[in-house]
Amino acid sequence: MKAVAQPDMARFDDVQSGASETLAELRLRLREAEETLDAIRNGEVDAVVVGGVSGQQVYTLENADRPYRVLIEQMQEGAVTLARDGTLLYCNQRFATLIGVEREQLMGHLIFDRVASDDIAVFEGLLAQADGAGRTSELLLVQHDGDHVPVNVSAVDLRVDERMPHLICCIITDLTHSRRRSHELSAANTQLAREIEERRRAEESLDVALDAAGMGSWDLDLETNIVRRSRRYGQIFGEIEQGDHAGVEMLLAPFIAEDRPTVAAAFAVAQRSGSIEFEKRILRNEDRAVRWVHVKGRTQYANERPVRISGVVSDVTERRLVQQQLHQAQKMEAIGQLTGGMAHDFNNLLMVIGGNIDLLENRLGQDSRSVRYLAAARQGVERGATLNQQLLAFARRQDLDVQAVCVDELLATFGGLVRRAVGEAVTVKVKAPAERWLCKTDPHQFETAILNLAINARDAMPDGGSLTLSTEQRVVDAHVAALHGVVAGSYVVAVVTDTGVGIAAEALGRVFEPFFTTKDVGKGTGLGLSQVYGFAKQSGGFVVVESEIGTGTSFQIYLPATEEASIAPAVRKEKPQVRGYGVVLVVEDDENVREVTCELLRGLGYDVLEADSARAALTVVRRGERIDLVFSDVIMPGGMSGLDLARQLKACKRNLPVLLSSGYTAQQFGLHEAIEGVELLRKPYSLSALSNAVERLTHRT
Amino acid sequence: MNAADAPAKPVHYKLRLFVTGTTARSTRAIENMKQICEENLEGRYDLEVIDVYANPEATKELQVIATPTLVKILPEPLRRIIGDLSDREKVLAGLNVLPLR
Repeated sequence: MKAVAQPDMARFDDVQSGASETLAELRLRLREAEETLDAIRNGEVDAVVVGGVSGQQVYTLENADRPYRVLIEQMQEGAVTLARDGTLLYCNQRFATLIGVEREQLMGHLIFDRVASDDIAVFEGLLAQADGAGRTSELLLVQHDGDHVPVNVSAVDLRVDERMPHLICCIITDLTHSRRRSHELSAANTQLAREIEERRRAEESLDVALDAAGMGSWDLDLETNIVRRSRRYGQIFGEIEQGDHAGVEMLLAPFIAEDRPTVAAAFAVAQRSGSIEFEKRILRNEDRAVRWVHVKGRTQYANERPVRISGVVSDVTERRLVQQQLHQAQKMEAIGQLTGGMAHDFNNLLMVIGGNIDLLENRLGQDSRSVRYLAAARQGVERGATLNQQLLAFARRQDLDVQAVCVDELLATFGGLVRRAVGEAVTVKVKAPAERWLCKTDPHQFETAILNLAINARDAMPDGGSLTLSTEQRVVDAHVAALHGVVAGSYVVAVVTDTGVGIAAEALGRVFEPFFTTKDVGKGTGLGLSQVYGFAKQSGGFVVVESEIGTGTSFQIYLPATEEASIAPAVRKEKPQVRGYGVVLVVEDDENVREVTCELLRGLGYDVLEADSARAALTVVRRGERIDLVFSDVIMPGGMSGLDLARQLKACKRNLPVLLSSGYTAQQFGLHEAIEGVELLRKPYSLSALSNAVERLTHRT
Repeated sequence: MNAADAPAKPVHYKLRLFVTGTTARSTRAIENMKQICEENLEGRYDLEVIDVYANPEATKELQVIATPTLVKILPEPLRRIIGDLSDREKVLAGLNVLPLR
């Protein structure tokens, strides 16, 4: 600028040098331009960049984009360029293969020919969007053979020039494989879901079944030592907390100390033996009650190594109780059978002895000594008969004269008798209930039972105490009824409670057995409580005994309650021995009994025919001789009883009276249903009883 | 002045190479340029490779009209060398760098 202001030599030089610099620069630029032109002319460039209103455009020269073409041709996706109207301008080989048509037949044609009719609208949507953004759709293409192929179409717009403003480039992905995979996957999923559901249902129904059976389940993982227990398991063991707990110790803990080592051993053995089963006692958590549980399980192995033990558990306390009751009942029944059989034979012996005493009495003189001896002998027979009655009472083979009885009235009437029996040291209280209850029983047997209990109580209170007699009405439910073998319903309960020494638990189960006694030898027969038991059973009731050592004992006699009052049958007045006449057929298998019976009858003035069996008797009857009475034993060998004989005779000789004789009860033979003209004489019978019965039947007409 | 300063202070080169995707010529140009720089300008150059497909507007500023083109931005003056850069002498001359002695 200075140079312009002061032109001089130096300034000229400056101008000169500036000009030469500019010239050099221009030369350089010219050379550069020439080089560029040469390069373009010689094909040393790939692309030229052209500026325009819409920005720089890159024009690729021949073959420059070959790698892209190779990529496009090689790739496993279909590549397609489309005009806006859907004309296919270019496609790669993969697309042609996918459709199954030569490329030449595809290019220049509308893509819609290859789109499933339902998806054409979708494809049109892909073409219509022209905001330059990429978009994708899944649709079906139609192959050459008409099959459909699922594809994903990913489209993007490409601006080329004004004449072709929108070229649409699409990448088409075959979804057949992935669809198949996803189908397989979803099928596998469905299958899995179904299996899970089945398993769940099986588990559920197993749970329901176990629950219905009152069974809990448990599972001990031997590797992790984790125990899984079901809800019911918790209920059985009385546990409040639930869930999974560690340790076999958790399983062992509830068992009572005495049983625990056995249970632990069982679990140890189970690992080798493969199974476990035991019945042991636990202490229930919530109420500390001792309960019996039955545990059963199985060991699972993996590679011959025990990995888990799982199984079920149930509370069997009730079952054991019922079983015990059943055993007790069976034992009593067996003893009853034995006792009954023995009493039958014993009766025959007493019959022979007693009968012969009667015969002797008739033959011997009436001197005072003979009379005394005979009386003593007869007393012995009577005592034997009483004992026998008690045995039969236990065996429930005595005759019960059942009536509707008000127990309280009975208690009140023989309160005095009880007081005398127990002595002055024992206070007797009779509690009168508010209501008057009736029950079905034999008043005499009931009296005997109460007396037996009173005497028992007295012996339990050697230093005195109190004895309480009371009655209650209780309803026995089906469960309790089944335990005692009776019918559920309303019962009148006579309770005899003492404040005595009590009965030890081990003796409690045996007190009703005949001849079981804790008293000194000679002090008791051991038949008192047996009578109580037998009497209650025969009355359709039962006896419950509760006792605590040092506190006392309570006997409860349950007798079925009744609404109806009944009238006691008139007691037949027995006359002293009466003589008679006529022919009596004596049927008796025991020769000694038969002999003494015949002798007694002859002594009374009767003619006698004999038979040793029912069949023999029938033969005699059929002979047609005069017979005024058939006197037969009931129990006889040979398959035909006295009862059968009586029935047969009724069929052919209606008017022939029959007198049956037995140590057994009339009820047992169903005789109370009464065969007309048939009576029963209880063994052992006295001469006067025999004479009365025979006289009555032979002279009834 | 420049001539006097040049040996004392090493000149830093700022270079930009315009290519077209992965064409053979563009790939060659990149390889050649890389080698020339390593051998002659070690530690004193920045080289940017621009794909005109991806960024066509980048050509405008430096008036690039064809690819491959190498542009020497610094030191001035700005120089453009066109082609695959296989003529090493020409490239070095264009960069105003003395060839390896």
